[in-house]
Amino acid sequence: MTQLITLTINDRTYDLAVPANRTLADLLRYDLGLTGTKKGCEVGDCGSCTVLLDGRPVNSCLVLAVQASGKTVTTIEGLETDEGLHPLQQAFVDHGAIQCGFCTSGMILSGKHLLDGNPSPDEAETRIAISGNLCRCTGYQKIVEAIRAAGKSTQE
Amino acid sequence: MLLPRFEFHEPRTMKDACRLMGELGEKARPLAGGTDLLVNMKKKILAPDHLVSLGRIEPLGKLRTENNGLRLGAGLTAAEIAESPKVKDRFPALAEGASRLGSPLIRNLATVAGNLASARPAADFPPPLIAYGARVVVRNASGERILPLEDLFQGPGATTLGPEDLLEAVQLDAPEERSGAAYLKLGVRQTLEISIVNVAAYLGLEDHTIQTARIVLGAVAPIPMRAPSAEKALIGEAPSPALFVKAAEAAAADAKPIDDFRASAAYRRDMIRTLTRRALETALARIA
Repeated sequence: MTQLITLTINDRTYDLAVPANRTLADLLRYDLGLTGTKKGCEVGDCGSCTVLLDGRPVNSCLVLAVQASGKTVTTIEGLETDEGLHPLQQAFVDHGAIQCGFCTSGMILSGKHLLDGNPSPDEAETRIAISGNLCRCTGYQKIVEAIRAAGKSTQE
Repeated sequence: MLLPRFEFHEPRTMKDACRLMGELGEKARPLAGGTDLLVNMKKKILAPDHLVSLGRIEPLGKLRTENNGLRLGAGLTAAEIAESPKVKDRFPALAEGASRLGSPLIRNLATVAGNLASARPAADFPPPLIAYGARVVVRNASGERILPLEDLFQGPGATTLGPEDLLEAVQLDAPEERSGAAYLKLGVRQTLEISIVNVAAYLGLEDHTIQTARIVLGAVAPIPMRAPSAEKALIGEAPSPALFVKAAEAAAADAKPIDDFRASAAYRRDMIRTLTRRALETALARIA
């Protein structure tokens, strides 16, 4: 059941041997130590496991690592650079959009995908974009504001 | 949650996939988006010995115009269908159905074939597809057959697909020149929701009378169902608010809802009435 796969994660290429029943979420967290991706419900309802797979946000708890072979994965760890936090990450900090932080990785990646295609989303568009990511702490308001502000700031 | 162990197969062609399904039969399940199958496996509801992943079969991911209609590859995701300009322009009710499935994250994985094959009564793809008169192309190692989508469903979780069958494509004919359709979903939440009820309506006009009417109700029967009395009330008549109220009443009477934890049968019936009327009004408004 073990297969050899090749994945590009945050611009690094990994050659790995994985059992077919390992999810991408478990691969990232346990095999690669990339624990920014969280496991909440593990059935695709909470979005805390969100990663970008070939640029699209998905529940990594429902992707088999073997399905992701040959594809590009971006996790939350892939956003920060040597120059510092990604504007979205900074916006979350600046706007008080982080409380416990558990939803944050997923929220930021869903927000990134939104802004990549639409730099000035309105409130409704932003709420739809994060509608697969649950937050138990913040009530979503500051998350929405942070995402919209980050869109504006990268335009300036 | 751990997944049980299984043998994993990744055919690159439909031919190989059909051969594998033919050999493995009941011991295998096809894997597309995984948003239903993997969940059931994590919950220990299913533990197939083999998974035949269809994700590397390129033709399954194609959406193309065919005979002036559309051919949807079975592997197209809900997001791809919801965002496709060809779908949004010519089959807006289908774009609506696709866009209400699950969440944006789920939509990037879930496929139209998976939503059809899992045969949930509240599913989002069947009502608008049936309203547009869709057919499905089923393939196995012996060949291909094409059937109306309506004929696929037998009960909750049950289809006419055999253990060796794979859905290959959904075929849509061009809608009539003066036609419109709409899909409405009612849930407690706006997202990540299984419908309390849903309704798709398709109207085709000739001169000023309704020639074609298809009304499809979800979550009020073991399978997505047509509303025959409602359709009968519409055909041959000139559209009007009063007519739509009458048709909505007939649809509510056609529906066979049950009480469950999501809603009572009485509430479902009530909401069928409301959603049918609204879907008809939107369908009419979309006629050019």
